Amino acid sequence: MNLHEFKEKLFTLGEQHGFTDMELYYEREEKFACELFKGEIDSYDTSEVFGTSFRGLYEGRMGYAFTEKLDEESLSFLIENAKENSQFIEDEVQEEIFAGSKKYEAGSYYSSSLAEVTIAEKINLLKEIEKHIYAYDERVTGTDYFMLRSGETERVLLNSKGLSLSEKNNHAGIYVSVIVKQGDQVKNGEYSKFTRDFSIFNPEEIARHAVEEALSQLDARSAESKNYPVLLRNDAAGALLQTYIPVFSAENTQKGQSALKGKTGESIAVASLNIVDDPFLEEGLLSSNFDSEGVATARKDIVKDGRLITLMHNCKTAQKDGVESTGNAYKASYKGALTVAPTNLYVNPSDQSYDELVSSLSEGIIITELSGLHSGANTVSGDFSIAANGYYVKDGKVQNAVNQMTIAGNFYELLNNIEAIGSDLEFSLGFMATGYIGSPSLLIRELAVTVE
Amino acid sequence: MLSQSVIHDVITAALATGGDFAEVFVEDRFTNNLALQGGKIESSLSGRDYGIGIRVFKGLQSVYAYTTDGSKEGLLKAAGKAAQAISGEKIIQPAQLQKEIIPAVHHISLNPREVEKLRKVDVMKKAYEIAKNYHSSIQQVTVRYLDEEQNVLIANSEGKFVEDRRVRSRLAIQSIAAKGNQMQPGFYGPGAHKGFEFMENLNLEHYANEASRIAVTMLGADPCPSGKFPVIIDNEFGGVIFHEACGHGLEATSVAKENSVFANRIGEKVASDVVTYIDDGTIANEWGSITIDDEGEKARKNVLIENGILKGYLIDKFGGRRMGMESTGSGRRQSYRFAPTSRMTNTYIANGKSTPEEIVSNTEYGIYTKYMGGGQVNTTTGDYNFAVMEAYLVKDGKIGKPLKGATLIGNGPKTLQLVDMVGNNLDHGAGMCGSQSGSIPVNVGQPMIRVSEMTVGGTKGGE
Repeated sequence: MNLHEFKEKLFTLGEQHGFTDMELYYEREEKFACELFKGEIDSYDTSEVFGTSFRGLYEGRMGYAFTEKLDEESLSFLIENAKENSQFIEDEVQEEIFAGSKKYEAGSYYSSSLAEVTIAEKINLLKEIEKHIYAYDERVTGTDYFMLRSGETERVLLNSKGLSLSEKNNHAGIYVSVIVKQGDQVKNGEYSKFTRDFSIFNPEEIARHAVEEALSQLDARSAESKNYPVLLRNDAAGALLQTYIPVFSAENTQKGQSALKGKTGESIAVASLNIVDDPFLEEGLLSSNFDSEGVATARKDIVKDGRLITLMHNCKTAQKDGVESTGNAYKASYKGALTVAPTNLYVNPSDQSYDELVSSLSEGIIITELSGLHSGANTVSGDFSIAANGYYVKDGKVQNAVNQMTIAGNFYELLNNIEAIGSDLEFSLGFMATGYIGSPSLLIRELAVTVE
Repeated sequence: MLSQSVIHDVITAALATGGDFAEVFVEDRFTNNLALQGGKIESSLSGRDYGIGIRVFKGLQSVYAYTTDGSKEGLLKAAGKAAQAISGEKIIQPAQLQKEIIPAVHHISLNPREVEKLRKVDVMKKAYEIAKNYHSSIQQVTVRYLDEEQNVLIANSEGKFVEDRRVRSRLAIQSIAAKGNQMQPGFYGPGAHKGFEFMENLNLEHYANEASRIAVTMLGADPCPSGKFPVIIDNEFGGVIFHEACGHGLEATSVAKENSVFANRIGEKVASDVVTYIDDGTIANEWGSITIDDEGEKARKNVLIENGILKGYLIDKFGGRRMGMESTGSGRRQSYRFAPTSRMTNTYIANGKSTPEEIVSNTEYGIYTKYMGGGQVNTTTGDYNFAVMEAYLVKDGKIGKPLKGATLIGNGPKTLQLVDMVGNNLDHGAGMCGSQSGSIPVNVGQPMIRVSEMTVGGTKGGE
């Protein structure tokens, strides 16, 4: 059954069952991934999947169900389950099926030249990068993972109020983790990059980044455990920001899970901090003209000159707070319930380079990598105590890599302890992100550092 | 789910270009996910996942294609896409499919699909009431309910044809205690390879009270000191440390490419004598248990480390090719969207001889961790970290005041050598494990253990 036929049958059946407003959300995804190991294709994945989710108002309450099978059996599965599910919903504010925004931007986030890149070209790129990886330094022993992924997604939103929206986007990404060995020391270095412009992948540059990162971890030493000024390099700063982005969601303030409740309009950070959510970023991976409820997306300041300008909203959270939706309704896929998430969100860079920030440190620690963020960062209290890797800096110069560390502090306090913001804005897509998050390097006045 | 003749044709098509092995994995999964927030049901989501994964090997090359299109044409198209990645002439004919009947090991008495959602809501509301009424500082309670029925069919070019039904249920309770600007969460998430009977027999009083007790206790806790201390890790979910510090490093995923610190070390002493580490998918109805793995191999009990000596790895079919070793029934995946790889099931440290009382009273100064949060490991270096949800200071052989914000870091192989006491109170805890083949249910377990020295990262300066 095709989508439109399925929708017609579903809405007719829904009406017969007593649903008033209804929505069908559809996603189709094509993906390719290839992993290379020592010149050979180690894994090669290709897929084409689709699925739909149904949302409908039954006796004034919203019911949900999804399926990956567009057959007759699924029609009744969706209607019966959505009906049963709607019965338990007790929220005082009900979701609504959205009739549509006045105007939608016409940005396109689909690159037809990227779509024309062949699988052979992708594999060749990996082979080129791998050659450079092994040639760069004799201490390289292998790769831990070394992969190219590309994907194409089509989203369609159809509802009984006459809204019909669709959009396509695509992307390609490289992930590299290189292993180096010196004596009995083993270290690894990672690099990843996403884009819609395949021509920016420079094999020599990618190899150099990953191998240099691994080599820089060798000969790590201990350092005194104490409070240091800490320079969070752009990738580490982005990872920390990513973890705490949920505190800017109105859903979390309403649930009592974010300390930013009631802080809109107030100063929450140093005056130099500006955070923007921009759905129209040309290279943004989450660029889009409409959100998961069909609301037109918009570029907005989240934090401007240190003041909280707005929280992120979908229709339901906006109604609860008596404001307009910011176009941040989000569904992880057709399987997920509606929630709130950023699109492309980043900290505005300044004009101070990373090197300038390093040389401004008389003594301090540079953090290049954070791990265990999913468990070591408490988004409710803002407290974090997380494992980290990085370097020791003395008199403005990097002295050595440091053994595994933890850095500890509080995110809300950190926002007021930013001493300087770098110019080196970089985006990364972490595995736990719901959003494409970017940050320049951030110099923090003081954090508790414990060294193994 | 699909007829043998269609599957035979799909396997044949997948082998057309010279593959030496092909496999078809069909999945039809029904899930229910309910969330309760502040006493009210906030979302109730039901769904059906359906898809097919086709895998082809040629030597050390693995190709995977998946689709939601279950028509014969759709499957042949996906098989063709997979075959395209291999260029050559057909070398093998698939063997005749032989249906294998595997007796159900994990008995399910109440299929959650046949239980009214209202009964599920009742369980959630009871848990909410208990957790909310624990203490006046409990500001917010979230209860999540999950059940799923996953039906799979696995067939391959060696003639395997087997079907399995996996039913799982889980309840997750999160309490938040608040005082002034301070907020602290507490969590407990019991789960089992069982149907709704699991919810009916669950000790809600215990789990809901514990979630709130942790939050309230941590609200009054002191910042954790940082430095190197003896650390006592309590039983049950405390086993997450060995899941990270050693379990992941024993998976073929990293061992086969010799990227693991444990590669090529079978027979060597990798841990202190008191450590025996086991992965056992056969324990009846445990959250991480399986009847067959996602490659159709029967679940088994694998002794990984015995009295400190490395005995074996966790091996899937493809990892085994590179290692020249047989599968250990460890091929697992989240869904048809992932090719299987070597994963854990229920992994635990076996009981030792000490009593928990002896361990505590033998510790002059250190940290006692009652409940762990999650963790992460770099299998190449063995460096791991994990968060502690509830911790206490140990002084003069007694458990003292509560501590918050503790993170443990270290190196897996080193920590294994530093375990100096193992208790006799083994228990298991339910968790989700994320890795290459997605997020899967696993148990972690151990009796109480003591590590003679670990690095504790806290918010309070060193002592």
